[in-house]
This record gives sequence, C-alpha cells and structure tokens, in this order.
Amino acid sequence: MIMLENIHFTYEGIYTALRGVSLQIDSSELVAIMGSNGAGKTTLIKHINGLLRPQKGRVFLDDRNTSHMSVAEIAREVGLVFQNPDHQLFLDTVEKEVLFGLKKLGFSEDEANEKAQATLEKLGIIDLVERSPFSLSGGERKRVALASVLASQPRILALDEPTIGQDALQKRYLAELLMEMNSEGKTVIVVTHDIEFVIEHFPRTIAMADGRIIADGPTGSVLSNQEVLNICSLTSPQMTQAAQALGKLYSDISPRLTQLDELEYAIMQILGSGIQ
Amino acid sequence: MSFLEIFQYTRQDSVIHNLDPRAKLVLSIALATVSLLFSAIIPHIIVFLFIFPLIVASKSVRRWTKSMRGLSVLLIFILVFNTLLSSAEYPFSYSLALTFRLVNLMTSFSLFFLTVHPDQLSQALIQMRVRFEFAFAVSMAMRYVPTLGNEAYAIMDAQRARGVELDKGNLLTRIRNIVPIIVPLIIVSIRRALSVAESMESRAFGACENRTYLEKLAFRRRDWAVVILSLFILTLVLYVNLIVGLPDWMLIGLPF
Repeated sequence: MIMLENIHFTYEGIYTALRGVSLQIDSSELVAIMGSNGAGKTTLIKHINGLLRPQKGRVFLDDRNTSHMSVAEIAREVGLVFQNPDHQLFLDTVEKEVLFGLKKLGFSEDEANEKAQATLEKLGIIDLVERSPFSLSGGERKRVALASVLASQPRILALDEPTIGQDALQKRYLAELLMEMNSEGKTVIVVTHDIEFVIEHFPRTIAMADGRIIADGPTGSVLSNQEVLNICSLTSPQMTQAAQALGKLYSDISPRLTQLDELEYAIMQILGSGIQ
Repeated sequence: MSFLEIFQYTRQDSVIHNLDPRAKLVLSIALATVSLLFSAIIPHIIVFLFIFPLIVASKSVRRWTKSMRGLSVLLIFILVFNTLLSSAEYPFSYSLALTFRLVNLMTSFSLFFLTVHPDQLSQALIQMRVRFEFAFAVSMAMRYVPTLGNEAYAIMDAQRARGVELDKGNLLTRIRNIVPIIVPLIIVSIRRALSVAESMESRAFGACENRTYLEKLAFRRRDWAVVILSLFILTLVLYVNLIVGLPDWMLIGLPF
C-alpha cells in the first residue's frame, strides 16, 4: 500500500509542482494518473520511490515512512520506468542492460539470468539480447528500459508515459503485460496522456492539474466529467463523444458513457425498444 | 552541478550587462590574467576586492554565492590536498592562495558568461571576423550547458531508480558509478546534436554565403573606457610584478 499525506514540493524555490497531494493506493490496484503538462504527475511518482523527498508531508509504503529509506532500498519494491529510455541505457548489449539492475538490487547470478530471460521473453525482445541498445529503434529501446526495471519484479510498478512511440500492437502487448502483472498481485501506476489506453485498462483514474488532485475515482466517472476534463486539459474519450452525439438524438443514451460495451448496450436497448 | 550557474547567462538590466561583449571579454581576460600572476594571499584578496564590486554591479551576487557554495567541496579538496602534498615552505598559506586564485579566476570569467547572451557572444565573434559557423557553434554550446545539466540530473534519477547508489561506497566504486551517468549523457548529446543539425539544415542553415544581421554591436565611449582601464591595470600589474617586484607586505603569508 502506498500512502501520500499532504505532499508539497517546490523545485529550487522557483516552481511549485505539488501543492498538498494526498492519496492512497492499495496493493494490486491499477491506477492511471492523468493531467495537463506541468500538472505534477512525474513529480508525484518520483515521490513514491524516494527520488524526490516531500518538503512538507509524508510518504508511507506499507506503514513504513520512506524518509528513513534510501532510494536503492525502495527500488527493490518500487520499480520506476522513465519516459526517456536513453536516460537509462548505457551497456553494450540488451542482455547486460537487463542484468545490470538485477545485480545492483542484489540478485544472485543464476537468479538474475533467469529473471532476465523471462522478462525479455515476455516483452518480445528475446531475439534482441545480443544487440546494442543504441542500435535499436525508439520503441524497442523503450521496451528494453521497461524490461530492465520489470525484471526485478517489483511489488509496485510506476511507468511514466509508457505508450509514447509504441504502435497499436505494442500498446496492446504492454497492456496485456501490465494486466498480467496486476493479476499476480502487483500494483501498477501509469502516468499517461493516452486517454483511450486508460479507459480500456485502468479501473481507477487520478486527474491532476496545477499540483493538485482534481478528481480521484472510477475511470468512467472521472473521465466523463466535463468539468474535470476542462480543468485538466483533457479531451473526452471517443466513446463519450459518440455517446454525447447520440444522446442528442436519443435522450436515453447517457452523455457520460466511456466504454464500448456500455454504448453498445445503450444502442441495443434503443434498437430493441424500436423493434417492439 | 550548481557551481555551473555562475557561467549561465541571466537576463538583467545592469551596468555590466549593457557593456559591449567585446569590452567584457577584454575585462575578463585581463582580470583572469592578473589572478594567475600571484601566488600570495594578500594580492588575491586585493584582486577579489576589485572583482567583487563588479559582480555586485551586475546584480548577480545571489547567483555567485550559490555557485560558490556548489564549488565549496572542490575548494576544500584543493585546500586539503595541496596542504598535504605541497612542497612549499608554508603549505597551508600557499594552498589558501591557490584556492583564492581559483575563486578569482571563476569570478572573472563568470563576469563575462553571466552577462553575455549567447546571441551577443556569437555576434561579437562574428564582428571579430570569426566565421559564422564557428561563432554559431560557440553560442550553441553555451546555450546547451544548462540543458546538459538538467539531462545529467534526469539520468542520475533514472539510474538511482535501478538501484545505483551514487553517494555510497569507496572512491573506486564511486568512479565506477559515473559510467552509467556519463555514457547515456554522451549518447543523448550525440543524438540531440544529430537532430539539431537536421532541423537546422531543413531550415536552410548555410544557404547564403553573406549574412546580414538585424542587430550589430557598436562600441560606445564607456566600452572603450573599460578596455583601456583593463589594459592599463593588466600592464601595471605585469610591470609591478615582473620588473619592480611586489612590496614586502604583499608577500606576507600565514606561517604554516
């Protein structure tokens, strides 16, 4: 469980990124954090693994105050994947890159090899093991960086913009992988602008703007709330737009639908009643 | 990394900012040369008392203080190691002078970099008959220093998140820990250089042989005054130092 209590953070006394953020994320939750650029999303997840320390407020991991833990200690439990894979990769083969983090976190040689193989296979980059990360495409590098963090199987996984530069197929693989990890009891937190990705896969959404949490709750209700969307500079999900357009013709269709099957059901209802 | 801030341009309206960059270049080089000439404490203090008001005049005291705080680790390092390893008669006194010298050197150059906008710098170089491509490269290098600094921080974060402990272990481990920072930094810079080059070319960089400029620098009376004063001080100090010799009271150091 992650608990943030009234977190404040200001960069170098110039730019205030967080103005009193409190939230609780239980273990094995799937949470999306959304919001405009500069809303404080990245700053927020950096507090979870201790890269940033709150200037006011406290961060707890399972009732342990993280102010007493080093980043390396927290890294064993919280894996953070950054937006730019080039900030991570520095070794000459993909395999070494994945093994590096595992060794740093204190896994034995055999254990590390096993975990690395499994992760590479899962992410579909097992045939790249001998390649240099620098010769790979942007999307592939992103997956290598992801693998290097996933390999240690942290209990909590936080990803910053994982869908950028990934095609539809890779996005689906990524979603499947995250769902699978979640079903194994892992907490998954994703920071993203990709509203459809969130709608499809994440039951809970936290919407942020200007260093504050604007809304926190079931994805459907957060992302169909026009006021929240306006404050957070988000556009309505496609399904909601479709529902709103149809709602003008058929008042039975709620303008706050977000899921394909909800809309399908609503249309079926109307068609059904029409037939009758 | 905060000590780099002293070399980063800040927009201000001050007497120093409004000087011609070429005049400031002469001033900075003169002051830096003067700082290099001495190895006793008192002359360095005098030099400092001369430079510091210029920092005040450029309204950059806060930035200067912050940079010096960032530099303090290195300064203490120089002080300690020189004292331990120096073969001078009074090692501590000598090392203290060396430390002052570094502060003076940094401060004199910062006077230039703090107050000259990268565009002004390239314009100054061009009017000093440096080719446009080179002048542009120099001003671009200056422009990217802070970007590189931010990048370094981001990389450090990314590696720490993977369990690299940057501030732990003996000297050897710490040196080894630099590799995961330096390699991505170089790669990212090369990638960026390539993409900047491509975007420059797509905007017709180098299409015309002869460029014209919207703003040209012009020397004013006060710029000449600064140049003449700088050269005068430089000549005077060189003359006193090399031919006359410094007065005895200036050479007094600490007796240990």
